[in-house]
Amino acid sequence: MNVVEIENITKTFGALKAVDDLSLNVPQGSIYGFIGPNGSGKTTTLRMIMNIIYPDSGKIRIFDKEMRGTASERIGYLPEERGMYKKMKVRELLRFYGELKSGRKVNKEVDYWLDKLDLSDWADKKIETLSKGMGQKVQFISTVVSQPELIILDEPFTGLDPVNVETIKNAVLELRTQGATVIFSTHDMNVAENMCDFIFMIFKGKKVLDGTLVSIQDKYGSDTLRVRTEGGISTLKNLDGVEKIADFGQLQELRIAPDNDHQKILSEIMSRTRVYSFELAKPTLYDIFLRIAGPEAKEETDA
Amino acid sequence: MRRVFRMVKREYLASVKTKAFIIMLVLMPVLMGGSGIAMYLLRGQVDTTDKQVTVLDRSGIVADMLLKAVEERNKSAVYDKKTRKKIQPAYILDVVKPDEKDPQAQRLRLSDRIRLGELHAFLEIGPNVRHPKGEQSTFSIKYHAKNAAVDNIRNWLNNTINPYLRKVRIKDAGVDESKADEIMAWLQVEAMGLVSVDEETGEIKEAKRTSEVEAFIVPVILFFLMFMLVMMGAMPLLQTTMEEKTQRIAEVLLGCLKPHEFMAGKVIGGLAVSLTVAFIYIIGGIFFLGNIGLRDYIPFAMIPWFFIFLVLEIVMLGSLLAALGSACNDPKDAQNLTFPAMIPVFFPMFIFMPILQEPTSSFATWLSLFPPFTPMLMLIRKAAPVGIPAWQPWVGLIGVMLFTAFVVWIGGRIFRVGILMQGGAPKLSNMIKWAIRG
Repeated sequence: MNVVEIENITKTFGALKAVDDLSLNVPQGSIYGFIGPNGSGKTTTLRMIMNIIYPDSGKIRIFDKEMRGTASERIGYLPEERGMYKKMKVRELLRFYGELKSGRKVNKEVDYWLDKLDLSDWADKKIETLSKGMGQKVQFISTVVSQPELIILDEPFTGLDPVNVETIKNAVLELRTQGATVIFSTHDMNVAENMCDFIFMIFKGKKVLDGTLVSIQDKYGSDTLRVRTEGGISTLKNLDGVEKIADFGQLQELRIAPDNDHQKILSEIMSRTRVYSFELAKPTLYDIFLRIAGPEAKEETDA
Repeated sequence: MRRVFRMVKREYLASVKTKAFIIMLVLMPVLMGGSGIAMYLLRGQVDTTDKQVTVLDRSGIVADMLLKAVEERNKSAVYDKKTRKKIQPAYILDVVKPDEKDPQAQRLRLSDRIRLGELHAFLEIGPNVRHPKGEQSTFSIKYHAKNAAVDNIRNWLNNTINPYLRKVRIKDAGVDESKADEIMAWLQVEAMGLVSVDEETGEIKEAKRTSEVEAFIVPVILFFLMFMLVMMGAMPLLQTTMEEKTQRIAEVLLGCLKPHEFMAGKVIGGLAVSLTVAFIYIIGGIFFLGNIGLRDYIPFAMIPWFFIFLVLEIVMLGSLLAALGSACNDPKDAQNLTFPAMIPVFFPMFIFMPILQEPTSSFATWLSLFPPFTPMLMLIRKAAPVGIPAWQPWVGLIGVMLFTAFVVWIGGRIFRVGILMQGGAPKLSNMIKWAIRG
């Protein structure tokens, strides 16, 4: 069963088409990652799912119902920019948001989450005294405290240190285990690769990727040769059959042009320098993202 | 509905649970009552230093009378009879012979003494004050002091010299001195209400004496109280909505409740704050006036009207202000919109005096039937003792109810779009567009 079914939605702001004929299905219990460059339409899509703004055309069905004009207690939403009353105390704010959402007392849940995210000592402090990371964790709790079935997180990891990223990641995974469906947008491709059951990429308002990581990578095939060599990047220049080289210092990623033999390229490298290790791999999500939305894609579009 | 109630609760507590609210609750009546209350409270704070005044009497008939009068005054008015505490300054009059050769030099000498603090004032009495005829300078009475215009001694001199001179003139005219008081008796024109029939007995009732309290103070207090409550309950909605929008709280809230529930929560929260204050002041006022024996002045019949108009005014203005706040993107936008948005309360403030003086004029009637001004102007007209036709408050009420419903509807539509619209100053054209398209 799909929790979210989006059918050909379009949303225009003035002359800008923020979302263009987009369709998407989010299965129940899945973690769905939204990726895309800034301004590509991720937040607009999430806001439309939340019913905060409405599409100009097309349909959105949540829990098998069209929900235009309603705010559902079954959906939790963490907006991209954090919004909290600065003068309220942490516990007071979380109870307020939780009760506003669910219409019932959520005192126990608030204490559970404060403890879980290591914020109990800050429960009676005002929001304005929190650091950015702590504020983000409080906002995350406010999203999940009412135990929603669908959780929508707009860039939940931005601005968090690695420890807090892990904390929030684990919390999200736990919520999924408990049966929640999670949609989140992110710029962190590693997080998307590691956490998401499905990945959806939107670029200039249009859907450009949608599926599991494996299915997306399969589209591009094993066209990436990762090598570690003695000579490094300087010995890999001007290789026939290589479209692009990504240099990571100790490691280089070579994208092999279509219809070229990776064995031949590897032999050429070995003739130039000593090879410590090599791997024929599928492109990473990061690489796929850049191929679609990076400068080279822009050059292709311009050409 | 539970969500709206939760929003109302937050809005209400966010306003009421602050020290600023308590301070304002105490200070607001003082500020609104202004100098009147301050003067009442500070009435005991009189400078009791004795005041020395030099008298130059060119008439030759006033100085002796003044010396006797000041002696009497100093005996009776300077000390409190019970506590013997000095409550007024003693006036010390010093009669000096006028310098006829160089009067200007004498005036300068006396003025310099005043500047040095040796003297409080000097009084010049013209030679012809007994029968003021001919050139005015010959019968003028001049009081020279640092702050002569608002000096209590000048008032005392006025009220002492003139009755005395009148008596002298009456005597000079050959009238029996004993009749002077009768001749000079001043009869006040009394302010009376209209005669009416008692509904229960059918008898004609005596006309009621109207006082300034009923004619002026009661309507003005109700009027200013409403103004103050609107400022407390509705006015902050512009700012707080703008803040919720710019701090992105609105987006979180809209994930929890519908835009119209959000707006309703804010407006009802503001209303609850105003009603709390209204109850405190009105119950406190009734208790206070009852205790000091002024229960008759409490306009009990006006209280339901006051609350009805207050609720409508705050819902009407609150919705408008929340809608405008939703269109703002920074505090400057909100500041620019404050004055135009508050015209329904500011305009009645500018014109309440002529309306109070002539509550039944067509100017007052039509303006009070114009819905944005109805709550405040109909209230002050209804509170005035003149009495306005019974149908007018009801027609005004229906008008303002319809107008409030319209403003809430329009406000809700603007709010829904504006609250998520970022960037750009609020434009009337945009707001009209949002209101029409929704």
